Amino acid sequence: MWRSRSQKWSLICPFFFIILIHSIAIFLFTRGFLLTRTELPHSSNCSDIAQCPCVSLPRDEDNPLPNQTCWTESSIDRLVIIVLDALRYDFVAPSTFFKDKKPWMDKLPVLQKLASEPGLSSRIFKAIADPPTTSLQRLKGLTTGGLPTFIDVGNSFGAPAIVEDNLIQQLVQSGKRVVMMGDDTWLQLFPHHFEKSFPYPSFNVKDLDTVDNGCIEHLLPSLYEENWDVLIAHFLGVDHAGHIFGVNTIPMIQKLEQYNNILEKVVEALKAQSGPGGLHENTFLLVMGDHGQTLNGDHGGGSPEEVETSIFAMSFKEYRFALPSELDVSACGVNLDGKKICISYLEQVDFAVTVSAMLGVPFPFGSIGRVNPRLYFLGAGSLFSKCNDMKGCENSSYLEEWMQHYVNVLCINAWQVKRYLDVYTASSVIGFGSEDLLRVADVYSHAQGYWSDVGKDSSSCTMGCYDSLLPAMKMQVDAYLKFLDSVIELARSKWTEFNLKLMGVGLSVIFASLFIQLIAIKRLNKFCGSSFLSAGHTEDSANLILALIVVLIRACSFLSNSYILEEGKVAMYFLATIGILELRYSIMTMKLLSEATLSLILVCVLRFIMEFGLSKQAASSLDLASILEIAQHHRVLMYWSLILPILPMILLAYLSHKCVAGRSERRIQIYVVNGSIFCYMLIASHWVVESKVIHVPLLLQHIGRNCIPRLIYAAGFSQLASLGLGCLFCRSTTSDYQRDLIVNTVAMLSACSSTIILLLGRQGFLIAVATIVAAWCIMRLKNLRPAIGNGTSSNLTFYLLPVTKWNLLAVCLFFCTGHWCAFDGLRYGAAFIGFDEFILVRQAILLAIDTFGFSHILPIFGLPLLVAYRFPNEQINAGKVSIFLQLSQVYLMYGFLTSISATFSTLCVAIHRRHLMVWGLFAPNLKHHNMNHFQQALTSKMISKTSMDGSPARYPTPVQSGTHLLHSGRSIYLISLPQPERFGAAIRQ
Amino acid sequence: MKKRSDEYSVQNNDTMKVSAFGALWLHLMCGFGVAIAFWVAHQFYSINLISDPAHSLLLVWIVECPIVILLYSLLRDNSAECSYLKAVGRGILGLPAGALVIALGGIALGAPIGTRYLLGTINWSLLMSLFTFAPAAAVFGSSWADWRRIFANTRPVGSVDYMLCLPAHGAVIGSWFGAWPMPLDWERPWQEWPVCVTYGGLAGYVVGMVASLCFVIFSSRRPQQQHVKAE
Repeated sequence: MWRSRSQKWSLICPFFFIILIHSIAIFLFTRGFLLTRTELPHSSNCSDIAQCPCVSLPRDEDNPLPNQTCWTESSIDRLVIIVLDALRYDFVAPSTFFKDKKPWMDKLPVLQKLASEPGLSSRIFKAIADPPTTSLQRLKGLTTGGLPTFIDVGNSFGAPAIVEDNLIQQLVQSGKRVVMMGDDTWLQLFPHHFEKSFPYPSFNVKDLDTVDNGCIEHLLPSLYEENWDVLIAHFLGVDHAGHIFGVNTIPMIQKLEQYNNILEKVVEALKAQSGPGGLHENTFLLVMGDHGQTLNGDHGGGSPEEVETSIFAMSFKEYRFALPSELDVSACGVNLDGKKICISYLEQVDFAVTVSAMLGVPFPFGSIGRVNPRLYFLGAGSLFSKCNDMKGCENSSYLEEWMQHYVNVLCINAWQVKRYLDVYTASSVIGFGSEDLLRVADVYSHAQGYWSDVGKDSSSCTMGCYDSLLPAMKMQVDAYLKFLDSVIELARSKWTEFNLKLMGVGLSVIFASLFIQLIAIKRLNKFCGSSFLSAGHTEDSANLILALIVVLIRACSFLSNSYILEEGKVAMYFLATIGILELRYSIMTMKLLSEATLSLILVCVLRFIMEFGLSKQAASSLDLASILEIAQHHRVLMYWSLILPILPMILLAYLSHKCVAGRSERRIQIYVVNGSIFCYMLIASHWVVESKVIHVPLLLQHIGRNCIPRLIYAAGFSQLASLGLGCLFCRSTTSDYQRDLIVNTVAMLSACSSTIILLLGRQGFLIAVATIVAAWCIMRLKNLRPAIGNGTSSNLTFYLLPVTKWNLLAVCLFFCTGHWCAFDGLRYGAAFIGFDEFILVRQAILLAIDTFGFSHILPIFGLPLLVAYRFPNEQINAGKVSIFLQLSQVYLMYGFLTSISATFSTLCVAIHRRHLMVWGLFAPNLKHHNMNHFQQALTSKMISKTSMDGSPARYPTPVQSGTHLLHSGRSIYLISLPQPERFGAAIRQ
Repeated sequence: MKKRSDEYSVQNNDTMKVSAFGALWLHLMCGFGVAIAFWVAHQFYSINLISDPAHSLLLVWIVECPIVILLYSLLRDNSAECSYLKAVGRGILGLPAGALVIALGGIALGAPIGTRYLLGTINWSLLMSLFTFAPAAAVFGSSWADWRRIFANTRPVGSVDYMLCLPAHGAVIGSWFGAWPMPLDWERPWQEWPVCVTYGGLAGYVVGMVASLCFVIFSSRRPQQQHVKAE
């Protein structure tokens, strides 16, 4: 049959080659695009300070370590952190700081009043967060003092718990008792760290009050207890109000007013107990936002509105000296009452290390922040209070003593950051550039050189000579700050910038692969013996041009975020356009009129199904299945909701039975198809048990819920296995290759279908029938054009339009089945059909099957039908070689189409890499398309081998689930990302 | 092919009667109808396409409907056998039928479904039907061959065919392109569902009218050649 084995291999080789090139390209591109940061498992210890070159404070030699001192002397005893999620800067700052007053400003007057009272030591800070500004990333950044990227290598994919060293861990290590209340994200991040916790679920965005009320309930009583050292209360109301209503709305203002009341009470309670010997004698209060939000309540990106938030810090001590102005970056103005109010500046990276310094715990290992002078100054009250009694210390000596202290802290800080840099470079895969490191090390040694001078002086000096030291210390502080600034600049460039070179190379390789695919298609054309674009058939070339235009426009649509957002509708638009043009053509030639009409009607039906599927995006889960479930209140409707999906099931079973009936020569295939029909019945009974229409005993219910799905998975697997073995051992003897191919393909499809339908839920059968009808229409309609048997036109022109339609249909199906291209577009419910507990690999496989089932697995396995049904009327019994050639060409074309989408989404990601929505939208799309392509390429290779060669059908499931693991892992991070819907400023230019 | 051209030649006797001036007059009336409707909407109801698409579209098609159907009925086929009133009746029947087809096509192409858009969709498809199917219904009635010639084959023969075919195709293609800016996130009011598609349709209609006028003038100058070509 085969002239030679080498010829067959020369046909299969291009598939391997293309896959190889594509993987290389995607690997290169993602290396440049996905910013990665390695998480180090190290953590700081109290004893590490021995390695520090800094001379510590002039302590008494006989009493080396005061009780509570570790790295730094603890200056506060207790800390209350109140986190108000998505607290915009202008919620806190007085409206006089802005050009015009907006309704949501000045709604937290208690903070402004406290900050402007001259006697009290409190201050409002403008805090700058680093993108990504999602709560989870921000909490991570705040506690570790680092710059979390979206993919922190070393993180476990399933649980987002922080493995890096962080503030909370240091607190626990130092024996501080931490109490948490509010947002349960904290518990995800720190599962075992809290002494006591009162978590409330954060995922229900529509619920403005549960978390807040829970917080309030526990917060105020806790203030009168003494069984904690650090209290964290995380309020979510403002974030949720923003997501649902937006900033300029009444619910938002009500929330802010409520917070004002709570904060008043908190401050009152703290103040009342802040007297000498009181519970809160040395308590520090922080009211802070984790990130800002836009006026529409979105956050996640790097626009000023999103990154600007604020921190209000308050100590209940009074100070009599002021911080030197060089260290205090602040803007002063008057508030509404005409009092002077100053607002300082802080970066959120600095938060962890500053709080650690104040509490006297070791700095988190991976922190790259610096101790903020102003915030540290506010908290350093207790260190100098002793001076009050000893002698009449005047202002300047306080200041000097504090400066001395601060220089020391900065020295430790600089040492810790330097240590982190060194360890990071040594242990991570992609470290910092050596040039940058040298430069930073230079700055450090420079600063350290200063230090040894100052340190020598100060140790030899008594209290009296501080005056002379003040300028030297200021220089010292400047030197350290310079070092720390250069480190953070380096870190930002490393962790928030892309590697353009790698991206460029990856892109060009992808484009090269497109050309290679084109060449491969052309080459196959030659094999077929027909010339490329044989002239004379205007209708044929019109066909070709139509397909090319559609593909081209669709590819270009991937360059715009709006069209990506509506990708399903765009695909539908083109499918309908082709449908209308074909209807027109079929009217013109009076051929296949009913098929053309049917296909157009079917597009309408799919459109309706998609509308229901897509409306799930708008928070409320309104897919077809849940609409059916809503009907449960009505008895009659309930039965209908059961019968409705079962009707298409019967149809499907009938169709698949009909396809293989009367072909006794292929035993295995018939068994497989019959097995699938049996599976369909099992699925129906599963739904009956699930829906609780009929009261079934508990045992039966359990069987129905869990055993039946498992049985179906097992059946599907064994069907596939038997098909593969059947292909391997039973060489077909028939000469009717076309029918052989059909039976093979139908058996394969039916083997896959039962699992996929089960995972998809009740709308599964309906969509399956719609798919079959649509596919049938495509197969029939391709015969609108004159067939090629006589060599008048090439395979290319003949197949390109049907393959394009097939591709568009697959894309539409992806969206019809309730998915969309975002990480939260995964249907997590599907992963738990048949299983109650979570095992990562198993659930990831199920999720992958669900996600790619209808849109990739079935269309790709079904593609041979397009070739097999080619000659319905003309009894040209095409030989094996001819069919194989056509098959591989069809697969190459399909691969070409998907790789065009993949290429253009990659290009789009490269162009929009600074775009706000890169992570929310483009990246999933890129992943989706690339994965598409991989899968498709793999499967096509397998199929083309299987169907003709008779070699075992291996399935790309391992590869697929492997990539998907990555997918679902990332999605956990991204799930908190709000639906990004508009252009915004670029991420940190 | 031979048979089809026979059909055309039968047509030709009737269709040649429209002069270039008549075509100009008809197209101008149709164009002015739309313009007047917008003016009325703006002046008396103080609505426009953007502020209230559904009702302005309603107004436009109500104003345009008598103009189009009455005018095109003058050009009816076989005027000897078919009375003027019958042609008008055909046109009025063709209006909702064409609207149904257009609405289905629109939904297949992605027109939003939902009660909020229902009125807009209905009025838009009625207007589009006035641009495309209603005049053809008035002229041809139920002559399947003529319909096929105009809309499937796009082989207009004679001035009436041009006047039917080109504006209709223009309106449909214009609407098709008009849908392109819809998904973009510029958040402009005119990106709402029937608005930009209507703009596209109107623009395409105008272009089609101008083109058909050009063809009519061109063919009326060389009537002999046109006849030969049709044969």
